[in-house]
Amino acid sequence: MSAETSIAGPRPTPSPAPPRLVHPIRGLFDVYVVEARIAIAQQIQYRAANYLYMLGMVAEPVIYLVVWSTVAQQQGGSVGGYTVGQLAAYYIVWTLVRNINIVFTPYGWEWRIRQGQLSAQLLRPLFPIVEDLGFFLGWKPVVILLWLPIAAFLALVFQPVLSPTPAAIGVFFLSLLGAYLIRSLNQTSVGLITFWTTRVGPVFELYIAAELLLSGRLVPLSLMPDWVQRLADVLPFRWTFGFPIEALVGNLSNEQLLRGLGMQLFWIVVGAIVVRVVWRFAIRRYSAVSG
Amino acid sequence: MLSGLLYPTSGEISVLGFEPSRRQSAYLRQITMVMGNRNQLQWDLPALDSYELLRAIYRLHPEDFRKTRDEFIELLDLGELVRKPVRNLSLGERMKVETAAALLHRPTVLFLDEPTIGLDVTMQKRIRSFVAEYNQRYGATVLLTSHYMADVQALCKRVIVIHHGRILFDGELSALATRFGAEKTIGVTLKEGTPDLSAYGEVVGSEDGKVSLKVSRADAPEVATRLLRDLPVADLTIEDPPIEDVIESVFADASAAVAAEAAEAAEATRAGAAR
Amino acid sequence: MGPFRLVRLFVRIGALNELQYRANFWLQLLESGIALGTGIAVLTLVFSQTPALNGWSQPELLAVMGVHTLMGGLIGAVIQPNMERLRTDIREGTFDFVLTKPEDVQVLSSVREIRIWRLVDVLVGAVVLGVAISLLETSVGPLEAVAFAVALVLGGLMIYCFWLILTTVAFWIVRIDEIHELFEGVYQSGRWPVTLYPEWLRVSLTFLVPIAFAVTVPAQALTSRLTPETLALAAVFATALMLGTRWFWRIGTRHYSGASA
Repeated sequence: MSAETSIAGPRPTPSPAPPRLVHPIRGLFDVYVVEARIAIAQQIQYRAANYLYMLGMVAEPVIYLVVWSTVAQQQGGSVGGYTVGQLAAYYIVWTLVRNINIVFTPYGWEWRIRQGQLSAQLLRPLFPIVEDLGFFLGWKPVVILLWLPIAAFLALVFQPVLSPTPAAIGVFFLSLLGAYLIRSLNQTSVGLITFWTTRVGPVFELYIAAELLLSGRLVPLSLMPDWVQRLADVLPFRWTFGFPIEALVGNLSNEQLLRGLGMQLFWIVVGAIVVRVVWRFAIRRYSAVSG
Repeated sequence: MLSGLLYPTSGEISVLGFEPSRRQSAYLRQITMVMGNRNQLQWDLPALDSYELLRAIYRLHPEDFRKTRDEFIELLDLGELVRKPVRNLSLGERMKVETAAALLHRPTVLFLDEPTIGLDVTMQKRIRSFVAEYNQRYGATVLLTSHYMADVQALCKRVIVIHHGRILFDGELSALATRFGAEKTIGVTLKEGTPDLSAYGEVVGSEDGKVSLKVSRADAPEVATRLLRDLPVADLTIEDPPIEDVIESVFADASAAVAAEAAEAAEATRAGAAR
Repeated sequence: MGPFRLVRLFVRIGALNELQYRANFWLQLLESGIALGTGIAVLTLVFSQTPALNGWSQPELLAVMGVHTLMGGLIGAVIQPNMERLRTDIREGTFDFVLTKPEDVQVLSSVREIRIWRLVDVLVGAVVLGVAISLLETSVGPLEAVAFAVALVLGGLMIYCFWLILTTVAFWIVRIDEIHELFEGVYQSGRWPVTLYPEWLRVSLTFLVPIAFAVTVPAQALTSRLTPETLALAAVFATALMLGTRWFWRIGTRHYSGASA
């Protein structure tokens, strides 16, 4: 027998009381605050990468803006109800919405499962989804700050024209939150597919393709043929991209603004239900492997 | 399965009165898992930030949390380490910081999965004594899996050996050696000469004048007496077999028993078929 | 071993390695299909509003898209993997292994990697080109074809130089991984003829990031828009760029401090 003997000695003294807990609502708020701080601290370390990524993202809308402006000029000043100035406004606001829409992708879930991080998260009394929502939402304020100079430059060059009412501005900011939530929930549902297959690429690419065409990301929806517009109305994509932009740029009536917010709420609820259901099945599927 | 990460295909489990696979919040709050060589802390940030996140996730009262946290920092000497980004820490330092993180919410059941794997000896001892200290202060139950026998010996009072779903042994660690370690090793160093000692027992090694003899547990005292009486002995040690060998023989026995049973069953079937 | 034999050797090795990743093939096919689909969707949308864009007809714009996809496939299959590997080697010090080989270092670092499945884009691009040419009003004669081939090669070399210059910077500033994200974004501008863009953008896309030479100029060759002056400019610029890149590369490798850095 080795020289080391058991350290666990006689019966331990009765344990102290379990730690006190805070109210669940306060707990959620705390999680958001800490996740935000962590997100900012971490992303600042990668600020160069983040800024380059942001700049690269600007190419897409600028290209479309130039193309559609050319079309508008050739057609006598406007196309699909948008003048050149309004097109500029559309695509510049687009860049902000695009950044707000950055969420945890299915590829992230792939990585998370491969790394084995998920086991540790599953042992904690909080859905990983809540953490993700807090994390990505947390550093949006910084994202907005970084975006402002880009927006200023684009505005200088492309001369946007927009005149939103105060109501429209308010709805715009609310819709940003709505868009973020809808897209987060949807991409989480797609991401949970990684519990069944190691490669989620194909499904996700198709999702992005549908989103490109049906959300107003490629081109303002009013430029699309009627059947596409009707399809877009019954799918969630429109409410993650087109609606926020149109709220600020499109001179919508108060009725339309409210209806838009209502649709966003609807899709948030649907998205949450889907995630909850898929999660239950995904957890059953998951087998933790140690080491 | 006890932690709730795996679903059982049959049978029942109950931990702390909960069914683990239902993963209720109240249950998860009372358990923790420490996995060797795995990180749950934020890689790019100091551990302190990750600790804050854990506080939020477990909804701990800030004051209680700070007390526990500072207590652990002192116990494990983490003062400097928790301020550095986790990626800058060595493996041993990271394990210390991760172990502390796992216990911040003062769980009453600890699942330790190879917690000292890959660590140097000093660090292993550090982690072990921390767990033991936690066990004493907070009355927690510790379930340990490890292939370092030193972990088992240092921490475990009660040992359960399971093989193919059957419990082979459940009792004190010392009793394990007594029941399965049928032999003892006697090490004899003589003042002079190197006579043949095979009359006393099975010679298993001879190095630098020290001869190792294997004798049965029952005969050991008698053989030792004879050696001391017959020969000019400079040094004599009597040792239990190393715990690894004991465990090995437990499984070997069990496999042999299983094989024997299987052979019997096959024999019976063949006999039955032949009739 | 001459540079061409070297290239053949690495293509074979690369192909043997990559064919194992059949899943990548299918994913690439899907991605290319989606990109093609959305591209055609936009073209159709544009031409539902107007008969010509900046003087370019629909088949002509389709040709631009074809060249863009084809060139994108070449860049992704041959140029980018090597540049990424080079960046990693410099960062982790394994560049030492390259330096000690008997081959010319620049050639070796530029040809050893290949992502076979990205060549799907070359195929797709060629098909789109074929369709576009058949729809063109102007015919494509041997002169146009030769000019096209020459312009394509020159454009490809210029993109290669651009990438190598950017990667050579890694000898000084080791962390520039995100450059390729930026390039992907900027390269999208090549889907449309650069004559569409405002002056300052057009100049940047010609001389700063030579996308105009890689995509628009070959497309101009096919659509009988190419002037001899432009082709001559392409040749001169390409040569200057190759020489400049080689010089810059030499400075970079001399500055390289090895794994101990």
